[in-house]
Amino acid sequence: MVTMKTTHYILLGAVLLLLSACDKVSPIGVLVSGTGVEDRVKMSNAYYQGHKGDGTMLSGYEGDEYTFLVGADSHLTTDDGRMREMLQIALDNNDLLMAHLGDIADTKAEYYIILEDLIDEYREKYAKKYYAEHYLNDENFSLDKVRYPFFPVVGNHDITHNGWALWSNIFHSSFYDVYVLVNLDPPQLDHFIFLDSASGTLGREQVKLLEQGVLNDYYHDTGEKIIRHTFVFSHTNIFRPRSVEFASTFPREEMFFLLNKFSEWETDMVFLGHVHKWDYQKVGDTEYLTLDSMCEANNPQPGDYLVRVHVKKDGTISWEKVRMNYTKK
Amino acid sequence: MNRIIVILCLLLGTITMQAQNAFIGQHRYNGEHKNEISGYAMAGNNVVVSGYGGFGLSYKRHLTDRWHVGADVQQQWGKQLYSNDVQGGYRLPVWWGDINIDGKLMYNRYNRWNANETIGNLSLTWEMPYFFLRVGESYIHWKTGDFGYTEPLTFTFGFGAMIRPRTNSWNIGLFFRNYDDFYYENWNINWGLNFYGRLTKQMYLFGEFNIRPAGSMSQLASKYETSGKLGLKYVW
Repeated sequence: MVTMKTTHYILLGAVLLLLSACDKVSPIGVLVSGTGVEDRVKMSNAYYQGHKGDGTMLSGYEGDEYTFLVGADSHLTTDDGRMREMLQIALDNNDLLMAHLGDIADTKAEYYIILEDLIDEYREKYAKKYYAEHYLNDENFSLDKVRYPFFPVVGNHDITHNGWALWSNIFHSSFYDVYVLVNLDPPQLDHFIFLDSASGTLGREQVKLLEQGVLNDYYHDTGEKIIRHTFVFSHTNIFRPRSVEFASTFPREEMFFLLNKFSEWETDMVFLGHVHKWDYQKVGDTEYLTLDSMCEANNPQPGDYLVRVHVKKDGTISWEKVRMNYTKK
Repeated sequence: MNRIIVILCLLLGTITMQAQNAFIGQHRYNGEHKNEISGYAMAGNNVVVSGYGGFGLSYKRHLTDRWHVGADVQQQWGKQLYSNDVQGGYRLPVWWGDINIDGKLMYNRYNRWNANETIGNLSLTWEMPYFFLRVGESYIHWKTGDFGYTEPLTFTFGFGAMIRPRTNSWNIGLFFRNYDDFYYENWNINWGLNFYGRLTKQMYLFGEFNIRPAGSMSQLASKYETSGKLGLKYVW
């Protein structure tokens, strides 16, 4: 009987549905994702706690301002042109750090080998520029000691098809923060927070960590507030620029949770990607910049795909779009 | 694959045979009553708030066998979500089922995050004995603090299948959709099971088990919310 067969198929679906409610079983996750956000964040936080303060404090000012460069969704494959251009622009401009908003490479081992080679190449260029004397004269100098200031977050395309193993092998943690020392006495820091939203949600583990205040280093031992500016970087966009965008954004409660959390942190700027369309919003005192994709496949023509932020000594923040000229060979 | 095609063809054949029947399922008006009232309890687990629960109440008045109006309220703890809506619709019988044109105006207060949401939805639902298919558009405006934002129009879609025709006194179904009673998402696709069973001529038991993932279109559908609902409907 047809109805019996149909019933069997629907019952099978029902069993799978019930199983998927268990933490240990996720049929959809088994099909498309080797690592869920909860596992990623647990691994990342373990690394973060073990390495907190390890090369994540940058010195802010040599002149009147420091700058940092932000790019998104490079989707690197065999052509590393746009990624190379971003690293070169930062090197030429003396940007203090670079942030990448995820989907750095499409998930294939060979693409990550290209990416890692590229980062190693620029780590060496960076060392030659900023540690020239050590690089040339110190026999004990090793590139491994150079903290190349490239800070990525993980995107959904980085981790589909078990890409987390590739991504974490290079970048280790998808949940971490970095400080820029802007004043010694009294101590003042600018805070750079990197969140894992590759799965379209922070996941329970990351929400718990945020609520426990893992990233809330607002105050010095004396009780004095030491964070001057806060910048947040993550992959999934909060604002949807157009009706026809098919990218998943955060579920509603999580969107409101994040808007509140960023406000509580007195965040100055939030940088997001994922949707491959530029968008700008200002919520209270917080600016939300959603960056277009810098990938030559998505945007073949030269364009203003990067953002550079200028942070002055007096605390003034301004930003500009930065042009990329690379076109596919 | 061939087996699935055969089953789909046979089901479509069954639909055409069943189409002339009067529906008396959970959502159908049988022409014998004017009023429907339902109440339910729900509970779930959500990434942001962990456990939550709540109650809901619905009323529907059939003005004619084609037109209806209704209103719903819901209160959820955990999220501190207070919701209400008014709605109305028109049923257009067609030989293969019904086309329902429904409009809804909704207000949500997410007290925990000091956010208010106003939503208008217009949907077209093609309801058949074993299946339904819904498409529509939602206008969503939300406000938190002094900031107000109107989202670009949000496409609404839903699909459901049931193991018995809607004429049956009980049923179990499977659904996929990007909305629930009190929210409309963009591309996060809910899916789950629902059921109903007639207890008496005027009383139904109904329930739902709903999985609401995040990141559906990111190819990384991740656990975001799991919830269940159990309620009673009384018609007179």
